[in-house]
Amino acid sequence: MSTSALGLGLAGTIALLTTLAVLVIPFRLRPTISGAGTALVGTAGLAAGAAALAGQSFTLPLPSLLPLSGLSFAVDPLSGVFIAVTGAVAVAAGIYAIGYTSHSGTSRAAAAVLPLFVASLLAVPAAASVATLLACWELMALTSLLLVLTEHKQRPEVAEAGLWYAVMTHLGLVCLLGGLMIFTAHAGGDSFAALAAAAPELSPALKGAVFVLALAGFGSKAGMVPLHAWLPRAHPEAPSHVSALMSAAMVNLGIYGIIRVGFGLLGGGSTWWWLLVIGLGAASAVYGILQAAMSTDLKRLLGYSTTENMGLILVGVGAAGLFASAHHPELAELALAAALLHVANHAGFKTLLFLAAGSVLHATGTRDLDSLGGLRSAMPATTLAFGWGGLAASALPPGTAFVSEWLLVQALIHGLHGATTATAVTLPLAVSAVALTAGLAVATFVKAFGTGFLAKPRTADAAAARESPATMLAGMGLAGAACAALALVPGALLPAIGRAVAAAGWPGPVIRYGTNGLVTIRLAGLAGEVSPLLLTLGLVIVMVATAAWLRALPARRAQGARRRARLWDCGGGPLTARMEYTATSFAEPLQRVFDDVVAPETRLDVTHLDEARYLVAAIEYRAQVPDRIERRLYQPILSAVAAWGSAARWLAPGSVHRYLGYGFYTVTAVLIILTVTR
Amino acid sequence: MNALGITGGVIQAVVITGGAPLLTGVMRQVRAKLEGRKGPGVGQPWRDLRKQFRKEAVAPEGTSEIFRVAPLALVATTVVTAVVVPFVTSASAVEPMADLFAVVALLAMGTATLALAAIDTGTAFGGMGASREVTILALVEPTLLVSIFALSVPAGSTNLAAIVAATLNDPGRVLSPASMLAAIALTVVTVAETGRIPVDNPATHLELTMVHEAMILEYAGPDLALIELASSMRLCVFLGLLASLFAPWGIAASPTPLALAIGTAAFAAKVVAGGAVLAAAEVFMAKIRLFRVPELLAGSFLLAVAAVASSYFLAGAS
Amino acid sequence: MTNTAYVELLNLACGALLATAVLILWRRQFAAIIRWFGVQGLALASLAAILAVHGHDARLGAIAAGVFALRAVALPWLLRRALARAEAAAVQPQRETRPLVNVTASLLAAAVLTLLAYAVSQPLTALTPASPAAHAIPLGMAVVLIGFFSLVTRRRALAQVTSFLLMDNGITAVGLLTVASTSLLVELGVSLDVLLAVLVLQVLTGRLRETFGSTDLDELRELRD
Repeated sequence: MSTSALGLGLAGTIALLTTLAVLVIPFRLRPTISGAGTALVGTAGLAAGAAALAGQSFTLPLPSLLPLSGLSFAVDPLSGVFIAVTGAVAVAAGIYAIGYTSHSGTSRAAAAVLPLFVASLLAVPAAASVATLLACWELMALTSLLLVLTEHKQRPEVAEAGLWYAVMTHLGLVCLLGGLMIFTAHAGGDSFAALAAAAPELSPALKGAVFVLALAGFGSKAGMVPLHAWLPRAHPEAPSHVSALMSAAMVNLGIYGIIRVGFGLLGGGSTWWWLLVIGLGAASAVYGILQAAMSTDLKRLLGYSTTENMGLILVGVGAAGLFASAHHPELAELALAAALLHVANHAGFKTLLFLAAGSVLHATGTRDLDSLGGLRSAMPATTLAFGWGGLAASALPPGTAFVSEWLLVQALIHGLHGATTATAVTLPLAVSAVALTAGLAVATFVKAFGTGFLAKPRTADAAAARESPATMLAGMGLAGAACAALALVPGALLPAIGRAVAAAGWPGPVIRYGTNGLVTIRLAGLAGEVSPLLLTLGLVIVMVATAAWLRALPARRAQGARRRARLWDCGGGPLTARMEYTATSFAEPLQRVFDDVVAPETRLDVTHLDEARYLVAAIEYRAQVPDRIERRLYQPILSAVAAWGSAARWLAPGSVHRYLGYGFYTVTAVLIILTVTR
Repeated sequence: MNALGITGGVIQAVVITGGAPLLTGVMRQVRAKLEGRKGPGVGQPWRDLRKQFRKEAVAPEGTSEIFRVAPLALVATTVVTAVVVPFVTSASAVEPMADLFAVVALLAMGTATLALAAIDTGTAFGGMGASREVTILALVEPTLLVSIFALSVPAGSTNLAAIVAATLNDPGRVLSPASMLAAIALTVVTVAETGRIPVDNPATHLELTMVHEAMILEYAGPDLALIELASSMRLCVFLGLLASLFAPWGIAASPTPLALAIGTAAFAAKVVAGGAVLAAAEVFMAKIRLFRVPELLAGSFLLAVAAVASSYFLAGAS
Repeated sequence: MTNTAYVELLNLACGALLATAVLILWRRQFAAIIRWFGVQGLALASLAAILAVHGHDARLGAIAAGVFALRAVALPWLLRRALARAEAAAVQPQRETRPLVNVTASLLAAAVLTLLAYAVSQPLTALTPASPAAHAIPLGMAVVLIGFFSLVTRRRALAQVTSFLLMDNGITAVGLLTVASTSLLVELGVSLDVLLAVLVLQVLTGRLRETFGSTDLDELRELRD
């Protein structure tokens, strides 16, 4: 049996055993068993994914496991990427969860369901038939819902977040079900092989309908605008290791679905599909990072950043499809490779960021950036982790996201030769969207890191922070090490990604990367190369040399240590924490620039004295940046549904017999009609 | 990595590090003369640097390592850029690092580090400068990347050496609409990134008008010297980029001493000329309001997109 | 088993199914209804056993045993227990159903529904005209429709539960008669479903009684605002 099959089987078994164990063992051991079990499941998954990336595929049909259709699993290098990424995230999150849940407490159900969640995340990319995919998808949705609702007893907002998440994920499932059922009905068999074989005979309209429905379902899971509303609500309310798993592993499966259905099953398609994907991706990227830049809740910021990164990945996938349908396979492969590399990079730094945010939440009890600050002295390890994650997320060298964004922009740039007019208009707009996203990401993470961790603490909670326990630091350390490896030597991962790209479905030669791909990444067939390792080495060498030269200056040698100096306070007395810039004020210039898109709401309540109307007793000022898409798109739909419901109440007078009668009369009428018209 | 590139890299490091303060001095002298003043002399920035390096190093209360590391990071990013970009020679010292995107991202990294150091001080000035600076940085990025797109289309690559070589091979391309539009867009970008009028006034300390100066308000002594040096070098690098991309004549193509001397002199002349033009324009312009800067940058973005479009749509332009 | 014996026994079992369904529709006292329901369960189990013996299918035999255990033993026992509890708790023990439609009209409706069932099942029977089991499908269909009709017209909650179970017996019968080899998993799933439904309905009935003092479903109208 191949290693990947063994790894996945092992992962599933360990998950079941851990779930059962957590249900019976006493309270004190629960966090350790649950976290350790999850980490083990992750390790098995990582091994399975790595084996699949190395070229070991397998197919495993299990026809008797589910009635009518059976389950069937198959792993190829494309699924291997997602399985490996999920496994790696689960290892870090599992170890972190040991410390996090022992201190903050967790319900038995949540601790038991965590390894099952990871197992379902590993199973979805391995599905090889529609029934298997939907079964594992639904298992993933249910387990994640249970995990999101872990802390619902402590905070009422959790229940609302869980409701939004449940409704939206099931609406996505309905779209998926619709699209895949149409496909299966015309294909005469629900295994992916049968679907792929039947795709060339379908009409373009039908294929388009299937693709749009699949895009809606999978895109909603990936946090694509405008179906993203659940993401910034559910991610802050879930416990931090769950947020990390959801943001860094679960949203990727939406991307997996789009790649698998779009390329593998439907065999590429019309150009307008991929233009739609690019458009939605670019909109998600810009809207996501704009909302993140305005957000003062640390975890909501990270949730919106996930939308942004998924948007960038969708731009890559869309560009790949666009180039494939225009018969430029080497560009298509480059774009898809950039997208897959960004999946891995994003998983790395998003895990790190969420785990660090959880550490802050655990130490201070608040997620509000306007109340944090000054955590550098009390929590140096967490500060380092968040700083490294923030650098990674802002696509600056030597950060992690720099290489994948470089690859993406290279793919977009080289596409202009021999392009159609639609493509020639889309590519510069896509490049400018990516650029605006990169600039805003720098602003966002400078804000988050600067106001949250540097300078002085703004409230007593922040001042009372203490460093997190060792298991939490270990989880962050693992994620940080993975980020560093991906940042400095991404070339190690590129051959595996090349195999994954080849497995995505279109015919053509595989990209051959340069022989010294470890230090320098060279594009095959196109002119371009970059070396993050050399960049970092150059920076480090110059910094060390300059520091040494400064030390060697005679004035400095005579001085010894640096003199402590007062900060400039305009002569008005010692500076207090109240005089620091808050996160809201930091983002205010950007908010003004993007006022029309962001539409902030302000409310000013002035209370006058009873006796004298000209004198003011109190003033209350409230400013909020709502999610504009939610306001403009979701509220009208919800109101319309509520109006429908109220109007339909005349159908429900309260008599049980009337309701049963509806059913009986309908069935009888249908039977009579069937008899008569045959 | 060949001999040409390496010698070029070494020469560039020395010339830019030593000559950047002189460039600043020339620009101030041009302004002074146009304003009817005598001016402090071209060597004044060097004298200022020497004075500051002799002072004691301070650590303001409440700041952390970020504050102390930021000047080093700023200098490092600028020096690395100065070494790898082909200014004096047509080959780069380290080929894989001479990608235009990588260079731009590296310079942005320096700015971001400085913004973090400004927040670290915990003063209102620091936060204010950082907030304005990252806003401008975010808005400059689209123009920058789309201009690079426009420049890379005729050369078929974003590698700087390749672009320079393509322009040397076909000098008439510089006058094409795509190239001219990209040049104007990149000039606006240079002004924004280096903090010159009309985006930012490098000589002001008024709260209402500071951007870069607010970020470095708490720095003194050797740290301030490093930052001033890095700022001058940044200006030098940007002007040199404009020169290499749009007027690369005189660049050394072989490692002979004569070619290298011509290359160095050409580079110095182009950079000084560009700086003088910039300084002269500053005399006749005022700094615009912070919230008018997005309009300026949007205009430059439009020019960049027009550059890309013209490189595709106009026959014979690509 | 000889062919004629098989056909005879099959028709006997299906006839018993239909007869007990009509009797459940006819009788008014709860105790009688539950007794006839038990008999129907026995008829269903024997139907499954006959098919198993004729087809030499051990799995079908296991299903027959399961059906007997559930529908002839467990469910009547549960219903009797619920009835006893209702009689003990109520001030005025209600032993009879009070249907919306009187008995004469109900029986006439049952006749019409049986005819409809024959008409509708023609295509199913035409699939395998040689098999005697296929000819018995209309009887199963008729039991389903009678069960549905009974569900609609009964007032008391306990009577409704019984009607629901009647319908389910009919569906199981149709399933046994049409499918060549049933999956054990499906049968297990369906049986668990039914058990669960009965348990839930029991709880519901108890709650109804607590709130209203009776299990007359018309009183539920008061819940609508």
